[in-house]
Amino acid sequence: MRPSLSSLYQAVELRSAIPPLLIGERTNANGSKLFRERLLADDFAGCLQIGLEQEANGAQVLDLCAAYAGRDELRDMCELVSRFARSVKIPLMIDSTTPEVIEACLKLYPGRCVVNSVNLEDGGRTARRVFGLIRKYGAAVVALTIGEQGMAMTAEDKVALARRLHGLAVDTCGLRPSDLLFDALTFTVGAGDETLRSAAVQTLRAIREIKASLPGVGTVLGLSNISFGLAPASRRILNSVFLHEAVEAGLDAAIVDAGKIVPLARISEREREVCLDLLYDRGGEGEGPGPLPRFIEYFKGAAPAAQEAVAGAGAGRFEGAERAVSRQVVEGVREGLEDNLAILVRRLAPLAVINQILVPAMRQVGELFGRGELLLPFVLQSAEVMKRAVAWLEPLLSREEASQRTRVLLATVQGDVHDIGKNLVEIIFSNNGYEVVNIGIKVPAETIIAKARECGADVIGLSGLLVKSALIMRENLAQFREAGLRQPVLLGGAALTPRFVAESCVPSYDAPVVYCADAFAGLAALRAHEAGSLTSTVWRAAAQATAVRPSARGGEVQRGVPVPEPPFYGCRHVTEIDVAEVLPYVNIEALFRGRWGYRRAKLSAEEYEALLEGTVRPLYRELSRRAVEEGLVQPRVAYGYYRCYSAGDALCVVDGGKEYRFPFPRQAAAPHLCIADYFRSEAEGGDVAGFFVVTTGEALDREAHALYGADRYRDYLMTHGFGVEVTDALAEYWHARMRRELGIAGSEPADLNGYVTQGYQGSRFGFGYPACPELEAHRPVFELLRPERIGVTLSETLQMVPEQTTSAIVAHHPQAKYFAV
Amino acid sequence: MKMICTNCGYVYDPAEGDPMGGVEAGVAFEALPEGWVCPLCYAGPAAFDAYG
Ligand code: B12
Ligand SMILES: [Zn+2]
Repeated sequence: MRPSLSSLYQAVELRSAIPPLLIGERTNANGSKLFRERLLADDFAGCLQIGLEQEANGAQVLDLCAAYAGRDELRDMCELVSRFARSVKIPLMIDSTTPEVIEACLKLYPGRCVVNSVNLEDGGRTARRVFGLIRKYGAAVVALTIGEQGMAMTAEDKVALARRLHGLAVDTCGLRPSDLLFDALTFTVGAGDETLRSAAVQTLRAIREIKASLPGVGTVLGLSNISFGLAPASRRILNSVFLHEAVEAGLDAAIVDAGKIVPLARISEREREVCLDLLYDRGGEGEGPGPLPRFIEYFKGAAPAAQEAVAGAGAGRFEGAERAVSRQVVEGVREGLEDNLAILVRRLAPLAVINQILVPAMRQVGELFGRGELLLPFVLQSAEVMKRAVAWLEPLLSREEASQRTRVLLATVQGDVHDIGKNLVEIIFSNNGYEVVNIGIKVPAETIIAKARECGADVIGLSGLLVKSALIMRENLAQFREAGLRQPVLLGGAALTPRFVAESCVPSYDAPVVYCADAFAGLAALRAHEAGSLTSTVWRAAAQATAVRPSARGGEVQRGVPVPEPPFYGCRHVTEIDVAEVLPYVNIEALFRGRWGYRRAKLSAEEYEALLEGTVRPLYRELSRRAVEEGLVQPRVAYGYYRCYSAGDALCVVDGGKEYRFPFPRQAAAPHLCIADYFRSEAEGGDVAGFFVVTTGEALDREAHALYGADRYRDYLMTHGFGVEVTDALAEYWHARMRRELGIAGSEPADLNGYVTQGYQGSRFGFGYPACPELEAHRPVFELLRPERIGVTLSETLQMVPEQTTSAIVAHHPQAKYFAV
Repeated sequence: MKMICTNCGYVYDPAEGDPMGGVEAGVAFEALPEGWVCPLCYAGPAAFDAYG
């Protein structure tokens, strides 16, 4: 896991996807009058109430402090921690400097909390003790830049103290850097003290330098100090602007009154300028009043946003909920979502909640994904939260509001059962505020046309898996034109290229036709459509670099290689296959990083390993267990060996007195490879070729589909991806078995990587892949192998059904390896 | 740094280069020629992920 805190109920990442992590400050006997009064009256339930309110206002961690003169801190903290641990869902920050109190709380608390705080006032004696406790109980700790001389004022001194604390914690006491949160402390810029004019600048510089020079550590800041001494309404604005600057500088967490943070968007340009001048001590030179008097003057009379922010009770609650919901979407957290939405709809129309809060949050998710900062499974988790929020709001929308949204019709084309590409598109579209009418798979053009009219679609989206489906899309477009449709059409799928779309599809239709590489490209197209700027895909051949197609291992294909003797000629069908024997062939890297989207991306090697160990491998083990025990994977094979001979660029396969011709392309450039060359010609005495069709059945796809129906998008992707890689593993497994049957299994790979790089004799070539692109070959293959007997059929566009099926021709020639034409 | 193809699992190791794609040993992943693709599955460089 990434460094996190946890309560009984949930874990919170210390470095949240959108910083800062908000730490609620009101449950502090020194900072909140109300909390203090309740504590002094032994009203612990009342204290808890304040904590719950902070949570509802969007706090993600709660600072809890009961150190108050005349009270028994140990007793109070134990009482409070046990109550809070049971009722508050967010993790706690134990705010105490007394080692005995800290230890008692760490013992009591049923999660991972953070201790606030240690410093070097006494030269490090206490800090060393507390670090020991932190290590013993596996907690995190805040370290303040306070030394023997008191609070450091300059950036240099703050950084120097941070380094010393870091040395003590990490080198001496064995903590990990990620267990540390440095608080570079700030003084107020609001008191008019000349020596403090650069207080904000010093703190921001210190944050920047601590992050740069102490890798892996976090930073935290008590925000409100900065504006001490100023009028309450203006403090909120200044605090919020300062927070924004601090986050830019690298701040990870802030101790704040979560309800009082004003979103930057609500602060006017002018207000911001006035605040920045004060923070950066600008414009004080020469004539006229300095930044502080100007600040006070500005906020004295007209202070619109500030006034709005304090207008009426509940305003803070509202802003807290606004932030909380937006975070929940970005971080994919569902707990408490409905409560927060209920607060929002008291102040905002339901449609506005969707358009102004939810959709921008999803947009941010898309941007994080685009920058590689959020992995696909997490995007799907966000979409799950979004879906729930919209489902909760939908009954509150008026009919006309509901129909204002742009409507997209989605279909997988005729002859194609590929569901998941289109469904991922539906997830992303519908959770970005579009209305999607998903009419399923294998949909003929006539039905698409009728449905588009019926539902009044604004845009049509078509999906498909194989290249035949791309050809169907082109035909569909001509039919759409004839029927007089005028909606833009978005096209997607793995076998589609922008070039094909631009050159073959665009001319067949009278409205924009757009190639979409993925769902987010589709989203961009929808936004362009709404803005009136959507145009057809264009292809400029010259602008694109031509891919260097690798090939050529060795030159001339050697003739006269001995022909192995197969155990039988003709086809056989195998249905008794032990799944447990197939699973070791699963390409784990391709599954985790490719199909599932758990890339290392910007994580460190250790963080990635933690993600794998904490989330990914347990998931794989669970699916593997179910594959074996619950029959989720049903491996079946149709395969055979046939006499054959090459004739130029073709292979002739002989069976039952009939000849089947398989033409193969030849590379135009050296070394001019062609699959036919791996087989002997008739004159050379003929040869033997293997074929197989393997499937893992439909159970897993059914399971995946049910997950999709239940809005469990992440699990949907995981289950489907697992099925895909097990299907490939079955092909690998069976290919190995055929090598053994042919007696050419002398040099088998020692590990999985050896299979990836084809470290065995011969090769298998899948029809539709670059060396044998013709899917037409499936017709003779099906005549030879009769895969109908294992439940596999061929659609009118040559797709094998069920989808989790793969086919290949097996060549034994030692030089046979993958290549592209 | 070694990079892995997320589509097929091929590992690009700068110490070895990609002889099949005509890339000599010692070429960093970032320095691969434009248009370079995975020698096994032809996925583009965007499909590669940090390995190790
Ligand atoms: C997984 C996979 C398989 C799986 C099954 C497919 C599945 N998904 O269940 C298995 C291993 C069984 C398989 C088998 C075969 N495969 Co295959 N397979 C793939 C692979 C690697 C990924 C496809 C996938 O599911 N992606 C995940 C989904 C979510 O992505 P997607 O559908 O592309 O959708 C995304 C975008 O395309 C886009 N999008 C899609 N539709 C739409 C629509 C709109 C409106 C918008 C806006 C966007 C959009 O957004 C989606 C989400 O971001 C692709 C190559 C690749 N890297 O894409 C080859 C690929 C599709 N396969 C290919 C081939 C050849 C085959 C086989 C014919 C090989 C064989 N001889 O056995 C068989 C045929 C299977 C059959 N049933 O007939 C070729 C197709 C080329 C061709 N000639 O048609 C590909 C392109 C590989 C290649 N580079 O050559 N395959
Ligand atoms: Zn690859």
